[in-house]
Amino acid sequence: MDTKQLWKNCLVEIEGGISKANFSTWFKNTHILKEETGIVYVGVPNEFVRDWLKNKYHKLITKTIADAYENMRAVEYIITKTEASKQEISPMNEIYINKELPLKDLYINPDDNLNPRYRFDSFIVGPFNELAYAASQAIIENPGTKYNPFFVYGGTGLGKTHLIQAIGNAIKDKHPNKKVHYLTLEKFATDFINSLQNNKANSFKEKYRKYDLLIIDDIQFIGKMEKIQEELFHTFNTFYENNKQIIFSSDKHPNYIPELADRLKSRFAAGMIVDVSEPEYESRLAILKVKLRELSIDLEQEIIEYVAETIQGNIRELEGSLNIIVCQYRLKNKPLSVSEVKNLIKNNIRPKKNVAIKDVVKIVSDYYSLEESLVYEKTRRKEIVKARQVVMYLLREDFNVSYPLIGQKLGGKDHTTVIHSYLKIKADLKNNPQLLQELEQIRIMFK
Amino acid sequence: MKLECEIEKIKNGILQVEKITGKNLTLPVLSSILFIASGKSLKLRATNLSLGVEIEIPAKIEKEGIIAISGTTLAGVFSNIFQNENIKLESEDGNLLIKTKKNRIKLKGQTHDDFPTIPTVDGKTFEIESKKLVDGIKSVYYSSSPSDIKPEISSVYIYSNEDNLVFVSTDSFRLAEKKIKMKKVEELPGILIPFKNVSEILRIFGEIQDNIRVCFNKNQISFSSEGVYLTSRVIDGVFPDYRQIIPKEFGVEAVVLKQDLLNALRISNIFSDKFNQITLSIKPKEKVFELSSQNNDVGENKTYLDAAIKGKDILLGFNYKYFLDCFQSINTDSISIRLNQSSKPIVISGSSDNSFTYLIMPMNR
Repeated sequence: MDTKQLWKNCLVEIEGGISKANFSTWFKNTHILKEETGIVYVGVPNEFVRDWLKNKYHKLITKTIADAYENMRAVEYIITKTEASKQEISPMNEIYINKELPLKDLYINPDDNLNPRYRFDSFIVGPFNELAYAASQAIIENPGTKYNPFFVYGGTGLGKTHLIQAIGNAIKDKHPNKKVHYLTLEKFATDFINSLQNNKANSFKEKYRKYDLLIIDDIQFIGKMEKIQEELFHTFNTFYENNKQIIFSSDKHPNYIPELADRLKSRFAAGMIVDVSEPEYESRLAILKVKLRELSIDLEQEIIEYVAETIQGNIRELEGSLNIIVCQYRLKNKPLSVSEVKNLIKNNIRPKKNVAIKDVVKIVSDYYSLEESLVYEKTRRKEIVKARQVVMYLLREDFNVSYPLIGQKLGGKDHTTVIHSYLKIKADLKNNPQLLQELEQIRIMFK
Repeated sequence: MKLECEIEKIKNGILQVEKITGKNLTLPVLSSILFIASGKSLKLRATNLSLGVEIEIPAKIEKEGIIAISGTTLAGVFSNIFQNENIKLESEDGNLLIKTKKNRIKLKGQTHDDFPTIPTVDGKTFEIESKKLVDGIKSVYYSSSPSDIKPEISSVYIYSNEDNLVFVSTDSFRLAEKKIKMKKVEELPGILIPFKNVSEILRIFGEIQDNIRVCFNKNQISFSSEGVYLTSRVIDGVFPDYRQIIPKEFGVEAVVLKQDLLNALRISNIFSDKFNQITLSIKPKEKVFELSSQNNDVGENKTYLDAAIKGKDILLGFNYKYFLDCFQSINTDSISIRLNQSSKPIVISGSSDNSFTYLIMPMNR
């Protein structure tokens, strides 16, 4: 008989029945010494514990052991040295939830603003970001020469910030004398405005130009800031001329950043523009596994697969769902079943929206700058046909509307027409990156 | 619970047991004192799961009951009550009401269900006069190691030898041994009482005059006398076989007056370095017994003492603090210092009193 396992099971039972303070005071350092002819000998650290277990918990202990081990006839307590039994309580019984949480903000290095947590060790590379990853590795090898500027774009929560900060950290490790600086566009703008207010425009220029690597996050907001575009343009030129690396991230391709000056657009295009798309199933699985390893928690494969399956799209949501599960797991201190997990994350699953067809038509026609009513009309003008087909495709692909219904709502078309449109767009997407881009833009507007 | 008793008695009791209440323990109720009113007495109980104590106070019980009250609060309250009359205690809705002529105090109680019992020890018993027990412990306990790393030496070792009860403690730099003569000694194979508990035993039994009943087994020891019951855990370990390091024969022997030596050590202290080292030089032919110390920042000093010396020349260094410690245990006027060579321990005892032996390891740098 495995007395260790038996006692472990009993402790779990007992822990549920009494308060935490009592449990840790009286059951810490206890273990089953041996079992002889039905008598179970429980080793305790001292007389105080023996006395109290005998007086107060004898019934509970006897019952618990009897439930788990039917041959038991009696329980005896023996005082033993404590050292031998220290490992007996498995780490499972510690309540992780009380663990101190690390103070994340304190980790940010004030010199370069980089968060050392963002490293390539924890960066999952998959088909959705391999190009961006490969380019960043080349940049780390030769900052400033190969891909300058490096422009990363992609939807929210897909790891852009992680990537660009990891580049910063890697360059810092590899080239310790290089000065790296990370900031968001918003910070850049505030600094600039402050310097204007204090008449210190020159020191502003100096401040940023002294760095060897500048990383600017969330550049998409630059659209309406004309003066800042100009300043960025000059800063950029200085960097570029001195062969210093500069890295941008944005949630849109530079061509779609509204009101972005052409001179900046062309400069962004001069370097490397890569996109980070949404992770596919296998990558999501890999991400979940890495996160679990960081938290040093084991979840059942089935659960991980379920989460990867259901939480599509952005990695941040994936992490959020995982956090909920992990928190619950620590709280309950036992493995969760799939149905429990389903229940837990049901709010995180983005519901397939029931969008009114009218809204889809409106957004698409807005995007292509068409009159909404034109889409419903029977016209074969090329631009209208395209918009109409996109509407059909989106309704079918994203919102699961039936073909006949789509046809009926879009001016009484036959369902075969709708099928044709759907398949046409689907085929076009494969060889027309422009169209893919457009669809992504439109989809962002739905969110 | 409802009762009446003398302020002085309950005050003493509370201040005694409060020191033993558990601090920083996972079980909050252990920081309280348990009041048990039954029969004709009120029992105050406290434990930190290493040491447990119960003090019984005669009281007029009107209604029996049990209540647990925070020890620090009680100590705070009672150390500031200075009246010499009776006090009335009454429990009401889990709180304790304290009434004296001039005070009306209400203390919040804690649930007492979780308050543990104090183990009673079954095993061999013997009786000892409280004075002897306290003397034995007091003579040696300062030598035990304060660190918990080696529990067997951070304790006082008690065993019986012929008609003596022997108390020993050491921190591996010095060692103290005290033999107490007993009329009748129960065979005592050797018990290690934790150092931390020993000082509480001294505090509680230091004021008691009666005989103390000692009961022990291999895990636990208890001391009881009129109205006081104290039980301590015993360390499961083996005390080093110290007898083999006490030299049997000596090459040098010196006898000096205790007061002279004390004064000399105090002067040397001023000049000792940061290792507290002072140097002892004995030259029997020239009748020199010299203590010297020097400190680069302060200066240096040499003190000559009158001494009866025999043997050969010797020069060795030691930590004067260890030397000063043993003066509290030596009751004779003159001290005998015996040595062999500069790398062997110094043995100190009261001259013509072999009940106490003290060893200091030399420090030669």
